[in-house]
Amino acid sequence: MSSVAAEAVHEQRTGLRARLDSMTTPSGLFLAAVLVIMALPVTRTIQDPDFWWHLRAGQLLIQHGGLLGNDPFTYTVANHHWTMHEWLNEVLFAVEYAIGGLGLIVLILSAVTWFGLMAIVQKARLRNPGRVALGLGMLVAVIAGFPIWGPRVQMITFFFAMVTLLIVERHLAKGGRAIWWLVPLFLVWSNFHSGFVIGLGFIAVILIAELIGGRWHMPDPAPRAHLRPLLFVLIASTAVSMINPNGPTILLYALGTQTSGAQQSLIEEWFSPSFHDWEVLVYGAMLLSLAMFIVANRRIRARDVALVLVTTALSLQSARHIALFVGAATPVYIDQLAMAMPRMRAGIRHLRRARGAARVRNRTQPPFAFRLITSAVLFAGLGGISLAWLVPKMTLQPVSLAYAQEFPVCAAQWLASAPEPLRVFNQYGEGGYLSYALSARGDRVFIFGDAALMGDPLLYSYANVETVTPAWDSIIKSAGTNIVLYDVKTPLADVMEHSADWTKVYQDGLSVAFVETDQLATLQLPPVPHWAPGSVCAKQAKAAPNSGAQNS
Amino acid sequence: MMRPDLLVIADAERDRRAFSNARIAWIAAAAIVVLVLSVQPFRDTDVWWHLALGRLITTSGIPGSEPFSFLPAAHAWVGQQWLYEVTLAGLFGAGGAGLASLVMGLVATSAVVLAAVSVPRSARVSGPWLGLAMVLTGVVLNSVVGVTSTVISVLGVAIVLYVISRWREGHTAALWGLPPLLLVWANMDAGFTAGLLIILAALLFIRPISAAPSGARRMLAVALGLSALAVLANPMGPELYASVLAGIFNPGVAQSLVGFGSPNFHDWSARLFEAEVVLMIVLWTVSGGPDRFSAVTGFGLLIATLFAQENVGILAVFLTPQLAVHSGRAWDLHVGPRLRQRSNTRRRRPHPVATSGVLLAMTAAMAVVLIPQLTPSAAAAYQASTYPEAAATYVSANFPAQRVYSIDAWGGYLAYRFPKGRVIFLYDEAAVFGDQALQLYLDIDQLDPNWVHVLTSEDIHHAILPSDAREAAALHVLGWAINCYDASSKSIVMSSPPPGAPLPQSGLVIPPPDAPAC
Repeated sequence: MSSVAAEAVHEQRTGLRARLDSMTTPSGLFLAAVLVIMALPVTRTIQDPDFWWHLRAGQLLIQHGGLLGNDPFTYTVANHHWTMHEWLNEVLFAVEYAIGGLGLIVLILSAVTWFGLMAIVQKARLRNPGRVALGLGMLVAVIAGFPIWGPRVQMITFFFAMVTLLIVERHLAKGGRAIWWLVPLFLVWSNFHSGFVIGLGFIAVILIAELIGGRWHMPDPAPRAHLRPLLFVLIASTAVSMINPNGPTILLYALGTQTSGAQQSLIEEWFSPSFHDWEVLVYGAMLLSLAMFIVANRRIRARDVALVLVTTALSLQSARHIALFVGAATPVYIDQLAMAMPRMRAGIRHLRRARGAARVRNRTQPPFAFRLITSAVLFAGLGGISLAWLVPKMTLQPVSLAYAQEFPVCAAQWLASAPEPLRVFNQYGEGGYLSYALSARGDRVFIFGDAALMGDPLLYSYANVETVTPAWDSIIKSAGTNIVLYDVKTPLADVMEHSADWTKVYQDGLSVAFVETDQLATLQLPPVPHWAPGSVCAKQAKAAPNSGAQNS
Repeated sequence: MMRPDLLVIADAERDRRAFSNARIAWIAAAAIVVLVLSVQPFRDTDVWWHLALGRLITTSGIPGSEPFSFLPAAHAWVGQQWLYEVTLAGLFGAGGAGLASLVMGLVATSAVVLAAVSVPRSARVSGPWLGLAMVLTGVVLNSVVGVTSTVISVLGVAIVLYVISRWREGHTAALWGLPPLLLVWANMDAGFTAGLLIILAALLFIRPISAAPSGARRMLAVALGLSALAVLANPMGPELYASVLAGIFNPGVAQSLVGFGSPNFHDWSARLFEAEVVLMIVLWTVSGGPDRFSAVTGFGLLIATLFAQENVGILAVFLTPQLAVHSGRAWDLHVGPRLRQRSNTRRRRPHPVATSGVLLAMTAAMAVVLIPQLTPSAAAAYQASTYPEAAATYVSANFPAQRVYSIDAWGGYLAYRFPKGRVIFLYDEAAVFGDQALQLYLDIDQLDPNWVHVLTSEDIHHAILPSDAREAAALHVLGWAINCYDASSKSIVMSSPPPGAPLPQSGLVIPPPDAPAC
C-alpha cells in the first residue's frame, strides 16, 4: 500500500473513531436516542376518518384515468364540482394499497412524518445549539405534536413545509443555489395537497420579516444578497404551483377552508385547543416556555419572531395547526433553549453552592469499548421497541376489531347485503369509510370529510340534524334519505329511538340504523346478521347485540 | 429678582406639576372610554340567581341548603359570595338594573384606573402610555366585565397591585389595608385567591427600595398572613380553601361552565387577549425585560387564563401597568432617540383650558352613550329579548307550583322568577349541586339514553326552552305540546301529553303555527 493510501485509510479510521467517540458521549447518546424515539408517536394505525375516502378516490382516479369532476360519494351534493387538490396523493394511496395494503401506507406516512421531524433537526443544527438542547427541544416538540401525528394526508404537507423551511434557512445562512430546489418541490407539493399555500406563506413571511428586521437592526439578519433570490424563488414557486389539474384556482382553494364559518365552527379539528385535554398540555407548556426563553434571552431574529407569531396564532385558532407550530417554532425553541442553558446551569451551580454541596466532579469518560457496547445495546433495544411498535400497526387489516370499533365496518358489511343501493344519512366522520366500503355498489352517503366540497349550507344542515334542532326530521327526509346509520348513544340515535316515525333496523356495538316506519317494507332490508362466533363483528357487537332491531 | 439656582428649581417644579397634570388628564380621558366599554346590561346569566339569593339573604339570612331547585343538591349551601349577592340585591332594589350596571361599570373602571396609577412614580411613565394601556385593557375587559362578581376580583387585583407598588416605594402603611380588603373580597368572589398569590409572589420576588423602612418585607409577610386568616371570616370558614381548590380541579366544572374552559380563539375577544399578551411579551423583550415579580405573576396568570378564560379580566388588569411602563421604555430606547435626531423641536404640553375642554366634551359624549342604556325601559327590553320573561309569566299563571325543566343558562333567571316552591331544575352553581345532579341535567340536555327516565322519575311535565333547543325537538317526539311561543326571546313553553295521546307523525315546526303568544 502506498503511503498516501495508508494515510487516507488512517484518516478515515480516525474520522470514524472520532465520530463514534462523539456519538457515544452521554449527550450524543441522548440525542441519538431521541431521534429513534421520535418514530414512536408518529407511527399509529389509521385514525383519520378522511383516509378512507382518499383511498377510494385514488382507486376511482386510476379507474377513470383522470379527475372525477363531480362528487361521486354523496346524494346531497352530487352536482358540486370537486377540486381534487390531493389527487396525486390519492393515486399514490391506491397504488400503495394495491402493492402492500394498509401496512405500506402506514409505513410510508410514518416515515414521511419522521423525515419531516428530521428536517426540523437539520434546520436547528444550522445554529449549532448543542446536543442536549437539540435533544430536549425535539423531545418537547414531538410530545407537543402528539394530538396531530399519525398516518394522515396532512403529514405530507408537514414534511414539505419542514423541508421548505430547512432549504430557506440554509440559503439565508449560507447562500448558494440549492434554494432553487424549492421550485420543483412546489410543483410536486401543489399536486399532493393544497397546504402548499402554507409553504408559500412561510417564505413570504420570512422575506417580509427580514426586510423589516433589517431596518429595525434586529439580531443576525440575513444578508441582503440572499433575499433577492428568495423573492425570485417565491415568484417561480407560486407560478409552478399552478401547473396542476385544477389550474390557478388551487391557490384560492386553501384560503376557502380558513375563511369558512361552517368548517371553523363545526369541525372538531378546527376548534381551539382545550388546555384541559392532557394531549394539548405539552403544546401549552412549549408555547409558554418559548415565550419565557424569549423574554429571558432578549435576542431573537426577525424571521423567527414572524414564524413563531404566525404559527402561534394559527395553532391557538385550530388544534390541527399545532403541527405547523411545532414545525416552525421548534428550531427557535432549541435556539432559545441553547441560549438560556448557560444561565440555567449557572443558576443550578449557584444553588448548589448555596447549599454547600459544591464538589469537584470527575468528568472522565468510561472506556471507548464500554461506551460502544452500551450504545449498541441501547440502540438494539430501542430498535426492537420501535419495530414491536410499528409492526402491529402495519399488519392491521381493514376488517379488524381495532378498525371495527372506530369505523362502521360491521354496519357496512350488513348494508352491502341490501338488494338495492341505499342513500345513507351518516355521521360526518364515517362518510369516508362508508364511501370506501359501499360506493362501488352505488350506495351514497349524506356527507363525508371533504368539507369544502360539501359546502357551508350542507355542513349547517348536517349540524342541525346532529344537534337535533327542530328541523332534524325534515332535513333527513327532504334529502331523500333511505336509511339513517348513526353512532349509538348519540342525541340523534336516542331521539329516533323514541320517535314513532322511525324504526330501528340494526344495531351493533358502534352503530345503529333507522328507517322511516312506512318505508320498512319497500326497502326490503336484509335481516339483522348473526355474526359467526369469534368473528370481528361478533366481538364488536358484544356491547349491544342488535338490541331492539325490528327486522330480524 | 430670583436667584438663577432658584429659577432652575422653580422650572423643575413647574415641569413636574405640568407632567403630573397631563398624566391626570390622560388617565381621566382613558377612564371615560373604559367606563363606556364596561357598562353592560345583565349579560351574565348567573346574575339572576345571585340577585334572587341576595333578596333571600336580606329577608331570611343565608340559606343552609340550595333554596330554589327541586333537585337534591349534593352539598350544603355555604353562601361564600353572600356579600356580593346582598349588595347586588340592594343596588337592584334601589335603582333597578340600570343602577347595578352603572355601579359595576364604575367598579371595573376604578380597577383600570388603580392599575394604571400603580405604576411606580420613579418610572415616570407619561400620560399617553398610561392612557393607551388603559384603553387597551378596557377593550379586552369589554367581553368579561358587566354585572358579574368577576369585576370584584378585577378590582381586588388592582388594589393589591397598587398596595404592592406603594410598599415597593417604601410606603408600608397601605399594607394594613390588605387584610380588610381580602376579608370583604372573599365574601364576594372566589377570585380572592389571585390576590393572595400575587402578594405571595411579591413577598418572594420583590426587593423594596433601599429607602424602605427596615422590616418592610416582614411587614408584607405579616399582612399576607393576616389576609390569609381574614378570608376565613366567611360562611365557609376553614373549608374555604379546600372548596376553591375543588372548584379549580373539578373536570366537570370545566366542561359545564364556559368561564372555566380554555378561550375559544375563533372569538374576537380571545384574539384581543392573545394580541395583548403577544404585545406584552414583545415589549418585555425589547425594553430590557420584566422584573422577576412581573415575569412570574404574568406567566402564572397567563397559565390560569389558558385554563379558565374567566381569568382574562385579572390578567388584563395586571398587564395594564406593565404595558404602560414597557411601552414607554421601549419607545425611549428604540424610537425616541431616532425621532430626536430628526427634529429638535421641544415637546409642548397642551394648554390646561384645552385639556379641560376635551375632557368635558368626552364626558358629555359618554353621558349621551350611557344614559339611554341605563333607563328602565332599555333594561326591560333587553330582559324581554334575552331571557324567557313572557314564558315564565305564562308558566306562573297556568302551571303554578309545578316543576319546570329548562336549560342551565336560563335556570338562574327562573330562580329569580320562581324563588319559592322549588319548581326549577338546575342553574350554574355546579359546586353546590354536585356531580349527580349535574348528570341528571346532562342526561336530558345531551339526550343521553337515560333522558326519558329522568323526566319521569323527576316528575317533570313542563319545560321552558329556546325554540331551537335539542330538548324541544326531543320532547316533541315524545308528544309534548307547545303551550305558547314568545317571539321576542324565541322561547316556548311545552307540556307533557295526557296518557294515551297519539305520538306526532311529523317534526317540530318553529315558529309553531298554532301556538298562542306567551
